[in-house]
Amino acid sequence: MDISRRRIMQSALALGALQLFPQLSMAQARNLVFATFTGSWEEAHKAVLVPAALEHMKDANIILDPMISVDQISKVMAAREHPPIDVMLHDPGPALTAIEQGLVEPYPVADSNFYQQLMPEAQDPMGPSIFYQIVGLTYNPETIDSPPTSWMDLWKPEYKGRVGITNMNSTLGTGFMVELAKLHGGSDSNIDPAFELLKTLKPNLAAVAANPGQLASLFQQGQVDISPGNFNAIQILKARGVPVEWIAPKEGAIAFKTSIHIVKNSPNRDLAFALIEASMSPQVQAQLMEAPYLVVPTNTQVKMAGEVASSLAKDQAEMKSRFLLQDWKVINQHRAAWIERFNKEIQV
Amino acid sequence: MHARHFDVTVYNLRYGMPLAAFFLLFFITPLLLLVFVSLHNDTAVSVFGLGQYAKVFGEGLALRILGDTLWLGVQVTLLCLLLGYALAWAYVRSSPTGQKVLMMIIVMPLLTSVVVRTFAWVVILGRQGIINELLLGWAWIEKPLRLLYSREGLIWALANVQLPLMTLPLITTLQRLESNLEDASAALGANAWRTFRRVTLPLSLPGVIAGSLLTFSATITAFITQSLVGGGQMLFMPMYIYQQASALQNWPYAAAISLVFLVAVIACVTLFSYLGRLSKGYTTT
Repeated sequence: MDISRRRIMQSALALGALQLFPQLSMAQARNLVFATFTGSWEEAHKAVLVPAALEHMKDANIILDPMISVDQISKVMAAREHPPIDVMLHDPGPALTAIEQGLVEPYPVADSNFYQQLMPEAQDPMGPSIFYQIVGLTYNPETIDSPPTSWMDLWKPEYKGRVGITNMNSTLGTGFMVELAKLHGGSDSNIDPAFELLKTLKPNLAAVAANPGQLASLFQQGQVDISPGNFNAIQILKARGVPVEWIAPKEGAIAFKTSIHIVKNSPNRDLAFALIEASMSPQVQAQLMEAPYLVVPTNTQVKMAGEVASSLAKDQAEMKSRFLLQDWKVINQHRAAWIERFNKEIQV
Repeated sequence: MHARHFDVTVYNLRYGMPLAAFFLLFFITPLLLLVFVSLHNDTAVSVFGLGQYAKVFGEGLALRILGDTLWLGVQVTLLCLLLGYALAWAYVRSSPTGQKVLMMIIVMPLLTSVVVRTFAWVVILGRQGIINELLLGWAWIEKPLRLLYSREGLIWALANVQLPLMTLPLITTLQRLESNLEDASAALGANAWRTFRRVTLPLSLPGVIAGSLLTFSATITAFITQSLVGGGQMLFMPMYIYQQASALQNWPYAAAISLVFLVAVIACVTLFSYLGRLSKGYTTT
């Protein structure tokens, strides 16, 4: 056989060009792409949820693609017909946006083993909620002598130049502002009192983080000593030895339910269903509730135990009474205007 | 027989066709798409209109952020010019071994990721960072200074990150200078400062313009450093566009401010090129 250089170049180019058309290659099981949250949730899901889900799937692979909610929506909206993600995890605000934009499929409730076991608040046919994120105050116990007890402690003059907050792009930031407003006469649709309070908070502010992940690293660098914070976000820091503690303020901690959705037009609906079933099952939720993940469960069959029970609530009933819930449908309508106003007012 | 003559001094356009097609498909078309999206009045991209541009020019916020971003670019470029010129000067006047070492130091930041370099600045400027620890250790200050998330810290971090972009063109220009000209100036009685001001600096202007252009463009679009070192209180154009597009899903407005930003940057680049053409007059002997 005559192998000339030209022949080899032609064959190599043809083979390379074939890479552009993956459908032409042999049909393989596509991997299930699960977009989870960055940080401690990614670690928790990688260690617990993915192995549990894989037990029920044959010849399948789950790929974790960590992204925050709003980025997940952007990605799916950019390619609705062939979405790059199969299963999405959302905070309440973006979840409503995703449902409105028609990006999610209704969950097949009738086929589910565990859907009915969820708390009534967590049941939603467009996407069940698999855990709660709890926002309270995080502080550095080494530099702060007496632990804070109230949201208004952030304004104490002794914390001058040590307080950190995030901007309103994230659920954490928006939730904090709404709660602040509600404590001072505002509501889910009117947060003017919070903006007034923000002006008085400025001397105390050490930093306004661009996202919650940055806020966590600020504790590590000693830039801030106290801030509103997510219960789960600090677990990673604690595991790494950073001195940081979480406390629920006496007015109540804010709770967001986090929901999981099947993306419309996903080619892996059955695998997605199996994954979501695993995430709702009592075994996985109980395992995630233990240290070091400390994820708050929504399945009523799971008995609250360990640090979740001692720091947060002894059972689901207490959770309902002690946690502050917000109406994200109303919040979503005003959020864009509030973010613009925050941009203007926060500038030094 | 009549031999066909084709003009060897002219290149045939058809050889540029594949690249032009690629350019048209992947650069021009998305840009036109961006213009199309920006001409809608609502976030669902269904109502045609100029509402977004009215919002950009009517509401002061976008223009203020744009002005602030361009001013940041100017501040960083000036600082970079001072540091970069000194570095290029040192390079040109070093021994060959010194030049090798200096070149490695100058180029090494370009080989490292911007994120890694920016995090290094976070470590240096932080409250428990190197600068504060040193100053506290020498008892020059009692409480740590707020260097991170301040404008000064951001300018220094950006100047360091963009320094190679300023230094390398300056090195090229300074190396091409004829040293005879400086000797001639000294021989005619000018002192060192006068030689620098009247001979070296004008002759190195093309390099200054080129370096400034690169540094300016890189600074105003430096999303990562602006967010990590600048924090959430100082809002610049890249973060503003990202916020509008991603967090708020307001694509028409994000497209409108992107295009306004693009036009502003093109205007600045044109200004630089005009200055560059003016400075060419100095170099023709």
